[in-house]
Parts: sequence; C-alpha cells; structure tokens
Amino acid sequence: MEALRFTGAGNEYFKIWIVNVLLTIITLGIYYPWAKVRNRRYFYANSTLNDRNFEYHATGKQLLLGFLIGLVLFVIYNIVTQVAPQFALFFMGFFILILPWIIWRSLIFNMKVSSFSNVHFSFRGALKTSYLIFLGYPLLIIFLIVMVGIIASVAIPSLQSSPSDPTFLIIGGIIIGVFSMILYAFAIALIQKKSKEYMLNNSFYGQGQFSTELETKKFLSIYAKGIMLALLPLVVMGLGFVGMGVGPGAEILFIVAYFGFIIVSLLAGAYIMSRIRAYVYENTLLDDRVAFESTLGARALAWVIFTNLLMILFTLGLAMPWAKVRMANLMLENTLVDTSVGFDEYITQEQARGGAIGEQIGEAFDVDMDVGF
Amino acid sequence: MIQGYWHPQGSAERFVATFEINDLGRYAIVFEDKTAYRGDASDLKVSDRLGNVYRKITLEDGSAFTTLDNDAIDLLFKHQQKTNALVHYLETHMRWIAVALIVAVATGFSFFKWGVPWTSEKIAQALPYETNRLIAKGSMKFLDKAMFDESNLTKVQKDEIRLHFEQKIARLSIEDEDEIRYKIYFRSWTMGGSEIPNALALPSGEIILTDKFIQLASNQDEIDAVMLHEMGHVVHRHGLEMLIEGTFITVAVMMMTGDASGMGDMGVGLGSALVSSSYSRKHEAEADLYAFNKMLKAKIDPKSFSNIMQSMMDYMAKENNETKKDDKKGYLDYFASHPTTQTRIDLANHYSKCFKQGLTTCK
Repeated sequence: MEALRFTGAGNEYFKIWIVNVLLTIITLGIYYPWAKVRNRRYFYANSTLNDRNFEYHATGKQLLLGFLIGLVLFVIYNIVTQVAPQFALFFMGFFILILPWIIWRSLIFNMKVSSFSNVHFSFRGALKTSYLIFLGYPLLIIFLIVMVGIIASVAIPSLQSSPSDPTFLIIGGIIIGVFSMILYAFAIALIQKKSKEYMLNNSFYGQGQFSTELETKKFLSIYAKGIMLALLPLVVMGLGFVGMGVGPGAEILFIVAYFGFIIVSLLAGAYIMSRIRAYVYENTLLDDRVAFESTLGARALAWVIFTNLLMILFTLGLAMPWAKVRMANLMLENTLVDTSVGFDEYITQEQARGGAIGEQIGEAFDVDMDVGF
Repeated sequence: MIQGYWHPQGSAERFVATFEINDLGRYAIVFEDKTAYRGDASDLKVSDRLGNVYRKITLEDGSAFTTLDNDAIDLLFKHQQKTNALVHYLETHMRWIAVALIVAVATGFSFFKWGVPWTSEKIAQALPYETNRLIAKGSMKFLDKAMFDESNLTKVQKDEIRLHFEQKIARLSIEDEDEIRYKIYFRSWTMGGSEIPNALALPSGEIILTDKFIQLASNQDEIDAVMLHEMGHVVHRHGLEMLIEGTFITVAVMMMTGDASGMGDMGVGLGSALVSSSYSRKHEAEADLYAFNKMLKAKIDPKSFSNIMQSMMDYMAKENNETKKDDKKGYLDYFASHPTTQTRIDLANHYSKCFKQGLTTCK
C-alpha cells in the first residue's frame, strides 16, 4: 500500500488563486470558468501516487456554456423564490426531476476529463439507474412514510378503547414517530449505498473497472453511531441547561451550548464521513486486484475542518487557498492504494462525449458530487 | 536537454527519456537505449504552465512527453505560450500578487458597500411600476395568516385615520410617483405575549398600522410621520431593491465560494446577514429623510417622528424587561439592541429646528 501525496503548497496556490480572482474581477466574471479550470488543474496535477500525477483536462470554453446556463437558472430561481414562493415549488419540482440527469451528466463529464498517469477515467452508468436512485427511491420512501402516517391515523383511534383517554394516542404517536425515523434512516443508508455503488461500479480507469459491494446495514450502523455521538453530549448539555437555567449564568450557558452544538455536530459529521470513506475504500477494487484504503480519522478531519473554518472567517475568505491545501494534504495522505501490480498496462478507452452543462448546473445549485478522492 | 518521461498514446506506461529541439526547429526524444523519436517542433502541443506541476508535451501521434523542468520548457516554447505566459507572470511576481490582493479586497469591499446598493437602486427605478405590484402579490394574505389578527379599533377610528390620510397625506407623494394607490390596513400583531407597535408598507402601496402603534401615538402628527416614513419606502421602491440586492449577494457569494464546497458556508451566512442589515439601515435612513422633507412641506413638526419612535422604544424596552423577568431570556437583548435609533432621533430633531424657523427645506 502506498499513500497519495499532495505536492502543492498554500503560498504557491494563494498566488494562483488571487490572480484568478483579479482576472475574474477585471473580466466582470467571464473568466470564472477558466479560473475554475486552473484551480482544479492545480489540485489534480499536484496529487501524485507512485510519482505519477493526476490531470484535469476540461477547458474554460467547455465550462463556459454550462456556467452561463447555471448562472441564469440560479438568478431566475432566486428571483422566483422571493417574488412568488408558490412558483418556487414548481421550480424545485422541475429541478428535482432533472437532478438525476445532472448527476449523470456531471459524472460522465468529470470522469472523462480526469486522468492519472496519462490514462483517462470514464463513467458508463445508465441514466435510468440514476433516476432510480436519485428520484425513484426517495419518492418510494416518502410514499411509505406517508402511508404509515395515514394507516396510523386511521388505526390508532379505532383501536382506542375509550375516546377520552389520550395515553393510547400518545404511545401510538411515539411508536409511529420512532418507526418513521428508523424508516428514514434506513432510506438514507440505502440511497447512500446505492449511489456509491452506482458511481464506483460504473467507473473505469482505462480498461480497468472499479468494483464495490456494500451493505446497507453497515451504513446504518455508522449513521447510528454518529448520531449517538452527537446526541450524548447534547443531552448532557441540555441537562446542564435545565439545572443552571435559573441564575445569572444563563446567557453564558447559552453561548457555550451554541458553540458546543457546532463542535459536536462537526465531530459527528466528521465521524460519519471518515467511517463511510474507510468502509467504501476497503471494499473497492480496481480490476479485482488493486486495493484501496482510507486511514482518515474523525478527529483529524474535524480538526482541519474546524480550523479551516476559523481561518476563513477571520480573514474574510482570504485564507481559502491555505484551507484548501490543508484539506487536500489531509485527504491524500490518508488515501492508500496498492501499487504492487503497477499501472503500466492501463490504456485510455475512447468513449462518447459528455458535455459540461450538467456539471455546471449542478454546481450552481450546489449539488456536490463527490467523485474525487 | 530536458529530463522526463515519454508515454505511448493513452498509456500509463512510461519510459525515461530526454527532450531537445535543435536549431532547425526539429525535436528529438531520446530513450535510454539511444533510440529516438523525431519530428517538427511546430507540431507539438504544450500544456499551460501552472505552478510547478508536471508539464506535458503532446506529439502529433498522441503520445506525450512529461517533465517537471518547467523553466526549460518555457524557454523552448516562449512563442507558443503568450497568454499563459502572462497569467504565469502575474502569478510569480510579488508586486502583481500585491496588486491582485489590493484589487480583490477593494473590489469586494466597494462591491458590497456601493456597487450592489447603487445598481439595485438603478434597476429598481428602471423597472416598470407594475413590478411592485407583482412582488407584493399575495404578501398581505401571507402576513394575515402568519402574523396578524383582526384589528380591535372601532370603525369610527379607522375611518377617521383613513379620511385624514386621503385628504392630507396621500397626495404628498404624487409628485414622486403618481401610479401608487395607497391603502391603509389596521391589524393587531402579538408576539410572545406582547403587542407589537409597528407600521409596515408593501411595495404596492399597502400600509399596515398595528393597533398598539395607534394606541401609543399621542396625536395625529405622529401617525402622519410614520405613514410618511412608510410612503418613503414605497416611493423609493425599497422592496424591489432588497429583492435585487439579495440576488446579487447570493450570486456573488456563489461565485466566490464556488469551489469551496460548503467549507465557508458558516462565514457566508454570517457575512450576508451583516451586509443585508447594513442595506436595510440605509433604506430606513432614506425613508426617514423622505418623511422629514414631506413633513416640512405639509407643516408637520418632524419632532413628532422622534416622539413616536421614543414612545415605541420605551414600550418595547418595558415589555422586554417584563418577559425577561419571567423567562430569563436576557440574551435576546444582545440581538435586539438598536444603536442607530439615536441617530434617527437626532436627525428628526435637526429637521424640527428647521421647521420651527418656518423653513420648507433643511440641511
């Protein structure tokens, strides 16, 4: 196993970043897609494994059209939500309908324009699978939860012995609530598993195919632990709140609780993210022989996210380049790949063209597709 | 001679090789076993320079030579790399970095401080009046559902205020905008157990007065002052302006943090809240000025405005104190404090002096 390395540096990237900002300002925003390409190229090209580097091949021109479409849609969406909230719902509905398409297009495009050691990646998943995972399953789950609610609202009153006794109603409500929550958690885990499998099992490095087999219950248990991790300190803090509620310290306690909440949810989020990453990596193979591993720890991740956040806040965004480099360093040095077989026999496969439109629309609406490391 | 690797087309396999271009413009890639690959240098494609990452030269058959010797490549291909050379030049010279930094900070600051409000105002003024009606559509229904209750004022009270408004106040704004049809609504607004004294205006000219406000007003002038302030918002099209400002901020923030994927979300939220509140202070000041000038014209003492502001503040402070005793919700004070109110009262007093001297304009 060999770890990836990030060879870029914050100081160097800051210069590239600030010149991007300058050129974007002078061109009134038109340069933005080119700036984005330069940023991406920097991070890809500085990611190395076995002394070989990644490359990002998209051009500013390729991204421009998608960027403009995304921008126009975004402005319209913003105006619509403020002017006529009732139309915003239609807009959201339309967006939800095309989201699976955007994800699919974006995966094809991003994989196609990425290469490692001169060999391109590719994505060959079917559009209908994307619709199944990102539209079909969520709708099914919503339908199930609504059904449970309807059945419960009919069944509970009819089972009730005396209509004036509310105990039964409350217990029934709690049972239904807990049941819905379990159903919901199960749904999230299932969709996560399916989408990871969709992304990985349809991804290729040259002629080599990635493969993974994941279990919903593993996702579920990671989520459950993460949520417990978040709930326990919150309950303790909540008790403290009640205990000290009457006293001059209430305001201070409120502030402590507020920041405590941020830190706890950060930790829980980092826990869930790092554990899922580790689980997915160790169950993924390239060509049934190249293995992967993630050694990313929850605490290290939470620490970097938290300090990055502070850095960015206190510099009004100017520390962004260093923050991004720190993040890249952490991610890469905790990504291990089995390089014993070597990569020499991989060859780029020709494939159908995929435009950048889907990807840019996705970005405009903040659909963050985690196709990288 | 440049050291590097040669990759066959689309292959991950690589061979140690050297690269050079002779005086005749012919290139040669020479492998360790002395075999070589030759051709015309003008057929080569060189990737753009970016920091010190691997540079790639693509040959006409699609195979590629990669090297880390960026400076040597720059020297060999100076004529092909003009645009990129400029960007790279900026990126590697401290004085240009300093220029970029200053331009970025200054632009960011002026953009939010002056650019957004100025442009929003111009756009808001340029749009047809109908837009105001469009954005206010449904707002009254929403407010009635979400915040307001029926007013407890008598019909006589309401009619009196309405009649006075029609006869004396409404026409004051005709010279600014003759399409507005003002309409007065009376509502009761209760929040957290206390009645809220307030007046609001919708962009389409609906002015809403709460019962508590009417109660606190000690005379007709005070009601007029507040109504004129609200008319100022309508005439200046502040509703539209806020809408446009909001869109600007969101788009700008999206572009700035486009690549950050959620990292700066918290900062962004905080930042845009601060920026918007500074815009809304500007709107209040504009509406105040509008009201004061109209009051001078209509012979109403601007002092009435500061009087009613004072009454409302005293009332809210008292209410807050009472809830504080009950609920220990003292921390709300941190967020509710209104440092600019004093400035507004001072300005009203300044205009009041002009009024007392019998002036119809003031500065």
